[in-house]
Amino acid sequence: MRNFHLPLLSICAGTVGVLLVVYIGLIAVVMSYAALTVEFSQSVKNDEAAVAVLETQYLASVESITNTNYLAEGYAIPIAQIFVPARSVTALR
Amino acid sequence: MRAQFRSRIRLVLTFIAFGALLILLRLYFLQIVHGADYAQKEADQQFASGGSGLFDRGSIYFTRKDGTLISAATLATGFLVAINPQTMTDPEAAYAAITAVASSTLSHDAFIAAAAKKSQVYIEVAHHLSDADGQRLAALGIPGVQVLRENWRYYPGGSLAAQTIGIVSYGQGNTLSGQTGLEAFYNDTLSRSDNSLYTNFFAELFSNVGNLLVNARDAREGDIVTTIEPEVQTRLEDDIAKVNQQYSSDDSGGIIMDPTTGAIIALTAYPTYDENALQNVDPTLLGNPLVEHVHEFGSIMKPLTMTSALDAGVITPQTTYDDTGCITVNMSKICNWDFKARGVIPMEQIILQSLNVGASWVATQLGQDKFRAYFTELFGQKTGIDLPNEGHALLSNLSAPEQVDYDTAAFGQGIAITPIQMIRALAAVANGGILVQPHLVSAIRLDSGITRTLDWNQTTRVFSATAAHETTKMMTDMVDTVLENGRAIIPTMSVAAKTGTAQLTKPGGGYYTNRFFHSFVGFFPSYNPRFIILLYTDNPKHVEYASETLDTTFLDLVHFLINYYHVPPDRGVATTTPS
Repeated sequence: MRNFHLPLLSICAGTVGVLLVVYIGLIAVVMSYAALTVEFSQSVKNDEAAVAVLETQYLASVESITNTNYLAEGYAIPIAQIFVPARSVTALR
Repeated sequence: MRAQFRSRIRLVLTFIAFGALLILLRLYFLQIVHGADYAQKEADQQFASGGSGLFDRGSIYFTRKDGTLISAATLATGFLVAINPQTMTDPEAAYAAITAVASSTLSHDAFIAAAAKKSQVYIEVAHHLSDADGQRLAALGIPGVQVLRENWRYYPGGSLAAQTIGIVSYGQGNTLSGQTGLEAFYNDTLSRSDNSLYTNFFAELFSNVGNLLVNARDAREGDIVTTIEPEVQTRLEDDIAKVNQQYSSDDSGGIIMDPTTGAIIALTAYPTYDENALQNVDPTLLGNPLVEHVHEFGSIMKPLTMTSALDAGVITPQTTYDDTGCITVNMSKICNWDFKARGVIPMEQIILQSLNVGASWVATQLGQDKFRAYFTELFGQKTGIDLPNEGHALLSNLSAPEQVDYDTAAFGQGIAITPIQMIRALAAVANGGILVQPHLVSAIRLDSGITRTLDWNQTTRVFSATAAHETTKMMTDMVDTVLENGRAIIPTMSVAAKTGTAQLTKPGGGYYTNRFFHSFVGFFPSYNPRFIILLYTDNPKHVEYASETLDTTFLDLVHFLINYYHVPPDRGVATTTPS
């Protein structure tokens, strides 16, 4: 029967080395993750801000249409209005 | 051996005493010598960007008629400019570069004075730079000039629904939070407790596994979705502003609500303010007068008096009374608006001709106890609307034994109500007798991805459906035959309405004879209403009756809503020719 000799010091040193590499790897992953998250989040924020600009334009156009005096623009009041049953397209009901 | 032990103890004690002395010395310098400087630093902290990351906050959305969400309040992103006086070499050149891109910055003198403060390392000099401007300035690499990322609250609608949406600002502490409107009421939902972007994922994983699985923050924080329809809101604001300007009123307001659910579709008061330019706003405009202020509404109270009496069974639509034009109650004289007698007439004429003597007669038939019971149920509690600082109705006259107080309350004088309470009470006439809960927010979109629909179904029946229907018929006849001498009729759509003109109270008691509060309420289709509209204008000049100031606005809104929502006809022929 052969006598196996376990070099305890070498094993410990090897384990510490592996753990050190893993630890450094984890730090790198965490830093990359944080950087990507910040980047993506800022990208989302930028997109939301761009949408807000479009929404500002939409609301301004609604206000402009509401404020328009169509009689002053040369349009005439309709001589007749026809009411027909139509399917409601609202979100209320 | 013992002596050696003692000497070691002494050594340790000496070190401890020395350490304590050092700490005391440090405390002395911190608190006594530099105490004032640190206090000043704390005071200045509100002007510096927080070290915990960028400002973040949930959004508030309008809901278009097709369900599309439009931002009412969101975040804008850009840059701020700060200077470091210690490293700044050429303040004049820095000022020129900054003012070339920043629309709002310090004055030249203030900038130079700031740059001269060599003891400081961070002074903000310009905010809200666009992405392009910020990056252009940063690329110049001016010594002592820092360009930093910044988020801020932005309202795409500007003044649209400003008093309802509310504002965000620094309150008691150093953090931005909602101060008025929905921003304040839903502050816990909209505010963000910290910036999770900067959290170490692995540290979080090992320190608090539970938080990763079920994050309490994600179940609380989110965006809010309102029931406000932006195009209807714009229309209402435009109409109310025109009324206020045309008659030089002190203030005006309006609410459009779904009478069966209490969902508020538009809500506005004039004057208002631009939420993106708060620097010069009158602070008195920041509240919401539609839920905070009370008014004596006048004759739009008559439908409620009538419905109460019909519900109690003390009158029927066929009941008649002898209208003498004026009556004297408890030594006080109550007269019709034109002082004319009508003789023996049925109940409907009280609504059609807006007769004060008739309303007083109905209140007398109802009796003080029942009158008090009905009106306390209608106005005795707050509506529970999701806005802060809701006001109480002033109903003290209904605790008095004098009949004259009940008679005047029957036509809307002597008791004061908030507009939101008034529209809720009148919605009970419209919807068949049920008090609904007015509300502005329909759902919360949580950060967890779940949309939580809010429950606003707490309702109370106050009138029988029959009593409400009979009053609705009277109000519909008023539009068909009386409003604009019958020209307001829409042959294909039943519309119920009532005007109100109240005398304004004097500060020392009594009423002005030449100052009025005009109100107008209406709903349609009369017998299955989708919208109820309440309008008012306070102290309009050179005009006496609400039928002169608000009927055009009301009818404009009715026609707009019919067209915009494609409300199908509920009666009559299919074609009409306007006069």
